[in-house]
Amino acid sequence: MSELALIIEDDEDLASIFAEALRGIDYEVEHVADGRKAQERLQNGVAPFIILLDMHLPHISGGDLLQVIKQDSRFEKTTVIITTADARMGDMYRDQADFVMIKPISFVQLRDLTARLKPNK
Amino acid sequence: MKIFFDSLLNVSAPNPDDARRRRVLNILLLGTMLAAIFGLIVIFIGSFSSGGISAPNNQLLLVGTLVSMVGITVIYFVNRLLSGRWAALLFLLLLTLVFAFTDTPQELSNGRSTLFFMLPITISSLILLPEASFLFALLSGGIVAYLAISINQPINSFAIIGFFMLALVSWLSARSLETALKDLRSINTNLDQEVIARTQALTESLDRERVEAGRNQAILNSIADGVIVFDKKWNAILANPAIKGMLDIPFELIINKNFRELIEHPKLAPQSRGLLNAMIEHDTQPVGFRIGWGEKTISVSAAQVYDNRKEGNTNIGTVIVFRDFTREAEVEKLKSTFVAIVSHELRTPLNAILGYAEMFKEAVYGPMSDKQVNMAERIMKNTQRLLGLINDLLDQAQMEAGKLTIHIAPLKPAELLEALHGLMDKTASDKRLRLTSEIDDDLPETLNGDAARLQQILVNLVNNSIKFTDQGEVRVRLLRTADTKWGIEVEDTGQGIPEADLPYIFDTFRQVEGATTRVHGGFGLGLSIVKQLVNLMSGDVKVESKIDSGTKFTITLPLVIP
Repeated sequence: MSELALIIEDDEDLASIFAEALRGIDYEVEHVADGRKAQERLQNGVAPFIILLDMHLPHISGGDLLQVIKQDSRFEKTTVIITTADARMGDMYRDQADFVMIKPISFVQLRDLTARLKPNK
Repeated sequence: MKIFFDSLLNVSAPNPDDARRRRVLNILLLGTMLAAIFGLIVIFIGSFSSGGISAPNNQLLLVGTLVSMVGITVIYFVNRLLSGRWAALLFLLLLTLVFAFTDTPQELSNGRSTLFFMLPITISSLILLPEASFLFALLSGGIVAYLAISINQPINSFAIIGFFMLALVSWLSARSLETALKDLRSINTNLDQEVIARTQALTESLDRERVEAGRNQAILNSIADGVIVFDKKWNAILANPAIKGMLDIPFELIINKNFRELIEHPKLAPQSRGLLNAMIEHDTQPVGFRIGWGEKTISVSAAQVYDNRKEGNTNIGTVIVFRDFTREAEVEKLKSTFVAIVSHELRTPLNAILGYAEMFKEAVYGPMSDKQVNMAERIMKNTQRLLGLINDLLDQAQMEAGKLTIHIAPLKPAELLEALHGLMDKTASDKRLRLTSEIDDDLPETLNGDAARLQQILVNLVNNSIKFTDQGEVRVRLLRTADTKWGIEVEDTGQGIPEADLPYIFDTFRQVEGATTRVHGGFGLGLSIVKQLVNLMSGDVKVESKIDSGTKFTITLPLVIP
């Protein structure tokens, strides 16, 4: 069974590139483009193995979603990767996330990082 | 009474000695006249017991006295209207003549009346001339001798010698009196001149001061910025009208008040209070910062005032200039927001281009020809360049807005170099250049710094060196330069920078020789950002360069070991 990666990203193109990178190394990919929908998805449904979290989202910000994730014990084992274009924002949440990737995020860079995170089978 | 006597006695004459002598003569004439009037009374009273006024003896006395009184009056008018000298001479002659007939020749030449002649001798030196005493000694001596001869008596030579000795003493004392008076007068004149000169100088300097003070006040009043001058204890001693409008509070709340009271004013934004308090507490060197005041943003520049006339340049207060910065602050904020949005909006699609190009290159959707891969690489390279430029612009905008901050944390210098090679090896090898690096042994393995910003500095410098080097190498060296300092050296074997351009290479938007921008690309922001970052880290950047042999950048930073 493949690990589930949840991509929370409002830009369709970036989401598709991230998805492609993750699928290429056998992740199962789920995508949400809206903050509110992302919150609903997080509260119901399976805890993903990886969450790619954009900070700049419609309705509910990435920062608020991060609090939801941090407060829910179901996500204890989930790796949270923040993706943001704002380096200052990245610095602000560095302590609360497992990884911070500053946009532009390279396809290869994301693929290599998430490949390393996969458990050895 | 005094005025009456003064008008009676004083004679106006240009020569003060003459005026003095004539006044003395007038006093003597007045005295003599009074004596004559007294004599008349005595004659009238005495005449009752000596045969009446018509007795020949009494008649003679009466005529003598009346003639004397007429003489005195004539002399008085001569003295007043014509000449003091002639009047004095006439008076003295009259006096001598009167004395010559007051007694018997016997008594006059050799007895009780001889002493009468001493009077004109002494007076003459006072009212005529100091030397005149000798003339009257001679005259008196002559009279005494003549009288003695006329009655067949021996000449009273003792009296005559006495006359001359008296004349000598009179002459000496009158002369020294005149000299003393002359000296006194010249001292007085000098003193008067001095007083006049001093008064004039004082008036002039007061005038000048008034004009200057007025001008200074006018200058201060016409300054559009608000100005408050504080004394050493931060009491406002001077302020201009502009400050009133700027702070929108009554003048009385500013002038003669302590600055601390102004800091407590509710219009001052609470976060600005600390800044102003710190300025007061630390008596800092010239400072500039911004404060919030009501709806306004006000820039504050403070400069200490030193009195260099006193020893050791004593600090005597502070001048603070307040400038309304509201509009500029709004524009700056807009600009900074604009840049942030633009950079975000630009970066997202560029990230997509980059991602799709990478996917081509990685052949995600099936095999690609070499040409296709090469094209994908070119797309990626250009996109990265564009991203680099946007990053530079964003950094510059942040630095201008004072928003770029340094985050200090422990870092490993070796990791900096490792990451540098990861980022720049390809760029160097594309130009067939070697990128080498070394770390000095005495540099600690871990030190405090902002890894991301140091990385940016290294990348910018190395990028710059690669850009301007066509063959050879770019060498990076991390070293310890002192106990409390470490440094970064980036040296290339490139074309070098003309000496005349060296002072400007850290300027914003500037590349040496405008034309090279087109060859090498970029905004010319790289080195400017390096310098600003280094300054934010309390460091220093230097450059040495030699045309056609290379350039060396040396950065010195404070060394703090965690």
